[in-house]
Amino acid sequence: MIAGVFVAVLVPAMLLAHASAQSAPMTDEQINRIRTNCVSTKNTLTQLHASDALLRVNRGQIYLSMTTKLMSRFNARAESNRANAKDLVSVTETYGSALLNFQNDYKTYEEQLSSALKIDCSKEPVAFYDAVASARVKRAQVHNDVVTLHQYIDTYKLTFDAFATDFASNGGTN
Amino acid sequence: MNNPEEVLQEEKSTFWGHHRLLLLIVLSIFIALGLVSISMALYNSSGAAQLDLSRPGYKTVTSQAVNNDGDFQDYSASGPLDTNAINEFRSVYDKQATKAKAVDAFSGDPLDPDVLDIGASSSTD
Repeated sequence: MIAGVFVAVLVPAMLLAHASAQSAPMTDEQINRIRTNCVSTKNTLTQLHASDALLRVNRGQIYLSMTTKLMSRFNARAESNRANAKDLVSVTETYGSALLNFQNDYKTYEEQLSSALKIDCSKEPVAFYDAVASARVKRAQVHNDVVTLHQYIDTYKLTFDAFATDFASNGGTN
Repeated sequence: MNNPEEVLQEEKSTFWGHHRLLLLIVLSIFIALGLVSISMALYNSSGAAQLDLSRPGYKTVTSQAVNNDGDFQDYSASGPLDTNAINEFRSVYDKQATKAKAVDAFSGDPLDPDVLDIGASSSTD
């Protein structure tokens, strides 16, 4: 979990630092390159925009189902049988917060990428470059959210195993 | 003799009195515009816009969207909690957890300026 927090904080910071470094005055050569590659870059970004949206829909559906169809349901069943499921409920709540972060961060990223796509890179190459750099940082944050969600899926499994062991040792009266 | 303000008011009411249908249409249009504006604001602010693959620009991927997760087995929230129930949950959870973690979504760095060939060190050669 500490490693997850480390990644979640450090990677965007490194990308931000890189982006800031790149926001230093651009050379004429680089500006010309952005203008020259304007059409192909926009095509690439448009494809990425669409494929990321598909990824968001399909993965988001699975991540949501993990909590609504499994975690919450097992917690409810355990509690209705008067078992101590506090740890499971706690992990589920944390997972829910992480899922909310994923949804919000994706929204922020999508809005930033959309605004980058609206910039005419042949007329405003510097603004376009900065917008893409900002979208890059936000996309990295979305990936960190995904990593965090995967970690909480594992955490719930470990907590469930502990619950099951405790349940068995108490003769089914956890 | 009526004062000028009363005459003016009378003319106004007469004008709208004679154009009730026009007033109705104009008011209807403004109310519709207001409701559409509120709907669009909610559509954008709620995040629904990001999930709407029917928007222009997403047509290439619309067909690949999973419309139902029917193979995602629901676990019953009611019933006794015994060894069988725990084993059943473990089996279902492991299967779905594997599926959820199968894709390292949003990994890679496709927005790297060098990948897009717009970076300081990029080369078009």
